[in-house]
Amino acid sequence: MTNSEPIRWATTVELTIATPEGVLFRLPLAGPASRLYAMLLDIAIVLGTVNGIGLLVYWIFAKAPGFGVMVITLGEFAIGFAYGALLEGFWNGQTIGKRLFHLRVIDQAGLPLRIEQAWVRNLMRVFDALPLAYLVGGISAVSSPLMQRFGDRVAGTLVVRQTPLVVPEEEFWTRQKYNSFMDYPTIAMKLRRAATPELASLIQDALRRRNELAPYARREIYRELAAYLQSEISPFPDELVEMLSDEQYLINAAGALFGDQRVSRVHG
Amino acid sequence: MILDLERFQMQARPRWSSLDSLLVALEGRPDRRLTQVEAEQLQELYAQAAADLNRVTHGALAPELRQYLERLVARAYAELHYDPPTRAEFWQPRRWLRIFTLFPETFRRQSHYFALAVLITMLGCALGGLAVRYDPASVDVLLPADYLRDPGQRVHEEEQGKNQGLHSTQNEAAFSAQLIRHNIEVAMLAAALGVTFGVGTALLLFENGVLLGAVAVRYAHQGFGLFMTAWLLPHGVFEIPSILIAGQAGFYLARVLLRWREDRDVRQSMREWLVLIAGMAMMLVWAGMMEAFFSQYHAPVLPYGFKIAVGGAELALLTAYLLLIGRRKADAESHTRVPSENK
Repeated sequence: MTNSEPIRWATTVELTIATPEGVLFRLPLAGPASRLYAMLLDIAIVLGTVNGIGLLVYWIFAKAPGFGVMVITLGEFAIGFAYGALLEGFWNGQTIGKRLFHLRVIDQAGLPLRIEQAWVRNLMRVFDALPLAYLVGGISAVSSPLMQRFGDRVAGTLVVRQTPLVVPEEEFWTRQKYNSFMDYPTIAMKLRRAATPELASLIQDALRRRNELAPYARREIYRELAAYLQSEISPFPDELVEMLSDEQYLINAAGALFGDQRVSRVHG
Repeated sequence: MILDLERFQMQARPRWSSLDSLLVALEGRPDRRLTQVEAEQLQELYAQAAADLNRVTHGALAPELRQYLERLVARAYAELHYDPPTRAEFWQPRRWLRIFTLFPETFRRQSHYFALAVLITMLGCALGGLAVRYDPASVDVLLPADYLRDPGQRVHEEEQGKNQGLHSTQNEAAFSAQLIRHNIEVAMLAAALGVTFGVGTALLLFENGVLLGAVAVRYAHQGFGLFMTAWLLPHGVFEIPSILIAGQAGFYLARVLLRWREDRDVRQSMREWLVLIAGMAMMLVWAGMMEAFFSQYHAPVLPYGFKIAVGGAELALLTAYLLLIGRRKADAESHTRVPSENK
């Protein structure tokens, strides 16, 4: 059933999945740094657990330290391998480290990880960890379009970022009662047509971070953005622009881009 | 922007949040099974969310809302198309015990890769043996450890009981654990090196063969063949085949990777690889215990004849296990299917 297989293609940061029913969605891939942090945390957890158990075992086998060493050596080894495989297998692709760093291992078709995949990708660590400090795995991940280390390639899995999201709230610029830009519908339409999604989100971000930016930086950024829009994208009449601060210019532009499409509510 | 986002969000929010809460409930369920009603509800909400995503993608400049919907749709898609193993499959001990029959079945199914591993090891043995026999200078290179280079001294020490102080159940237990761990690590690496399309696996097996051949010829040449056989056989009959099985798993993996596109049943392939590794690890546990608790005792404590007989019996049992177990069942099923979990 080849035609029921989802089509996949990837950029460096995300994987786009087109399902057989024609739905298209993107999954953000986890970068090497966040994966490294999650792994270091997992290693710390494993070492902590092993040492904790080790103390207990030494206490139990106080009169037979050789058996204590045996239990610890094998226990450490087994926990090291099984920790990742069991947690990822039964906890929907997450270890404790991955959960805290909002990462999840999934099947590369966008489906949940299966248990055998969890085992394969974790057993392959003996190769990915070569020659030291996961050099082979790291190079593999950086050079792979899906950021897969060798274990992921063999198991057909990948690691995605899953920061919790909520429905975005409405922004104030979509609700302003009067937007003078809407008095010039043709220029406003030109702005909407010429603005790329990147430019639109740049304006939105600049406005949203209004209170985080230092006054000087804010003034400069707003001035540059407004000048760029005015000269390159949508030249509103000078007599209007002269009356507006750069900030108000951007608020109006954002309102024209994201807000109500009708001509100004008060005057229209 | 074509879409009136304000009105659109107001209308759609309730169905997004009911999809979200349905998904949260499902994701928290260990077996993730859907009831009929839930399945219908999920399908409907998924279709609506996917349509909403489509509208936002093409009709609005709302990157964050799009991201939110993509996440929601991705989660719903995963739940709808996921086929989780049933709870019964996990918790039946019989399923877990199946590994003992699955292992020899898989071993036989993939025996040609085992033959390849044997061949490469034998080539290594031949090279190591010939080098030590005809080029004395190679001894220093091939056998770095003193006890390997100078068998006479080692045999003398062992038989005099110089190492007897080391023999206590305590030390043997610790020693066996270290052996098991080290051997499994090496064997795991041989199996994982299949990812280098088998080149790494072949090199590892060859190197192992060279060392084995060199030691065997060195000891035999100096007249300690009996000592060496008695020393190595009790654990070697499990240790050496398990390294060969690791090589088998490595070559199998290489083959699977080479024919990735045509081989649609990747899931089955991965299981075969895992079963071989699980079997190999079990064998190495036994080998490690034998090496620590049995092999290190020499004559006069344990007569060499007895040690060799034990090794021979182990080899016979292992051969019978690998060649015979599960055979009747496999014959009965024309196409053997590997059910559920094996590790």
